[in-house]
Amino acid sequence: MLGTGHALALRGLTKRYGSFTAVDSVSLKVERGEFLTLLGPSGSGKTTILMCIAGFVAPTEGAVLLDGQDITPLPPERRDFGMVFQGYALFPHMTVAENVAFPLRVRKLGAADRDAKVRAALDLVQLSGFAERLPRQLSGGQQQRVALARALVFDPALLLLDEPLSALDKKLRAELQEELKVLHRRVGRTFVNVTHDQEEALSLSDRVAILNHGKLVQEGAPAHLYEHPRTRFVADFLGKSNFLHGEVRESVPGGFVIGAGPTRILQAVAENHRPAHGSRVLLSLRPEKIALLAEEDAADNVVMGRIAAWSYLGAGYTLVVETPDFGALRVALPTWQAPIAPSEGLAVRLGWSSTASVPVVEDAA
Amino acid sequence: MDHAHRPGRWTIAAAWMVAIYLVLPISIVIPVSLTDQRFLSLPQEALSLRHYATVLGSEAWLGSIWQSFLIAVAATVIAVVAGTLCAIGCWRLSRRSTDLVRAMMLLPIIIPSIVYAVGLYRYFAKLDLLDRFLGVAIAHGVTGIPYVVITVSTALAAFDPRLEQAARGMGASLSQTLRWVILPRIAPGILSGAIFAFIHSWDELVIVLFIASRDVFTLPRRIWDGINENLDPAMAAVAVLLVVFTLALLLLDLALRRRRDA
Repeated sequence: MLGTGHALALRGLTKRYGSFTAVDSVSLKVERGEFLTLLGPSGSGKTTILMCIAGFVAPTEGAVLLDGQDITPLPPERRDFGMVFQGYALFPHMTVAENVAFPLRVRKLGAADRDAKVRAALDLVQLSGFAERLPRQLSGGQQQRVALARALVFDPALLLLDEPLSALDKKLRAELQEELKVLHRRVGRTFVNVTHDQEEALSLSDRVAILNHGKLVQEGAPAHLYEHPRTRFVADFLGKSNFLHGEVRESVPGGFVIGAGPTRILQAVAENHRPAHGSRVLLSLRPEKIALLAEEDAADNVVMGRIAAWSYLGAGYTLVVETPDFGALRVALPTWQAPIAPSEGLAVRLGWSSTASVPVVEDAA
Repeated sequence: MDHAHRPGRWTIAAAWMVAIYLVLPISIVIPVSLTDQRFLSLPQEALSLRHYATVLGSEAWLGSIWQSFLIAVAATVIAVVAGTLCAIGCWRLSRRSTDLVRAMMLLPIIIPSIVYAVGLYRYFAKLDLLDRFLGVAIAHGVTGIPYVVITVSTALAAFDPRLEQAARGMGASLSQTLRWVILPRIAPGILSGAIFAFIHSWDELVIVLFIASRDVFTLPRRIWDGINENLDPAMAAVAVLLVVFTLALLLLDLALRRRRDA
């Protein structure tokens, strides 16, 4: 079943409801066999985009292309896409086997062929022993797997997933994330997933497209998006981030120096992205990239502060450190690396390297 | 629910009064049907089943029962098909105009049936449907539609629209979606509507009085004539049979609802 995925492209996809623009001119490519996640907060238009791909929503402008062919006017029943719905939408009056057989029954497949495919699909999701159960007799995780088997059994051109894991508790979600990833590798199909859960997006996807207010803000591999967010929204939505405001004071080889009050911060930068002298810049600095320095330690950037609040999370600590020039900075450090036991009011030295932070732009309102 | 307020003594008493008030007139026919007298009365010396024997041995009574049954079946088919299609259509389109259609479908139970019957009389005379099996079946079928529209609309309101999306997403045509997904899900609602439509036709009198005379002589019509002409206790026996039959249908409906809600 390898390498049978299809390529999908969105060209200037726009959906307006009256004066409200749900999707604003989104262009996007999904390569064959790729796992793409549309990530965004609620109301960002991600589900509307998925519904346009599935054919349930007709775009106001723009086109959906499958392997270069315009499929925008095709109704959903003629697109041949598998879909896992939010809440799974299993047919409650049919057994697991009947649910999985439904797309084959629709296609008028012979009974022998049908049974073989249903069995193979249930094997694929490890539910072989559950064929005769009704959906309500299954746990949430099992229902989710039935929905997957049903969406894959007819060898769809594309698999669409609408918040497939949102109804599950945290532990089960992590487990099924793993399974979904393995399944994607095994079937080699093109998956398009929608979620508001950034962790899910990072762990599952080959590529993530981040949406906000109906616009595509940034797309790329999870690690690239996390390490190089282009805008403040991306840095904030994907993981947690501190934001440092400052003014470019001086250029140095491989970087520049910003000043905020008396503090000077060294920031590494690619030569072609050097900001103008005197311009205001915004840096995104991840909490886990800040270290708590001992007296004798040195770092590219050192800032003094006092612990305003802290919490213990088992694997690590989260500190909120009040600094004179950057306000409250959030610091995350593994428990075993914490040089001190945190306490409120304790004076600390924070340090980070010039490559730890990234310049980002403010999002257009 | 353990600590929910329990009803007070007066509330319980009032509830029983209402229940008795509702049931008493119906239950009075049971002793009357068992009378040993030859006129409509309570039993004097002994209980007797002779009036049941009269009914079950009389060609006129049995003929009316059979005719009522056939008309009710035909009317139910008309009401179920038309009512279900109407409810599904309104549900799928779901616009302001469909709310209006749904409201209009309830007219037969809002308009006094005597007004309805007068209208039908004039109309059926032109179509040569007076005193015909078909005429009564159509009249009962149409007036039974509201019951089906109400129960099917209720069932559809509880139907998850994503199931329809899922079916279409997997390639199902509209008719496949209807047959394999929508109808099985709303079947209990349709059946409830069918039972009510059947009962409606089974004991309908006013319309029959207007549009039928000799050839079509339904059970309620025969009871009506019996009361007007002679006070034969056989009528009480028929009434008991009618009540038992209707009660059985209602219990069936209750059982179906319970199974669906389980």
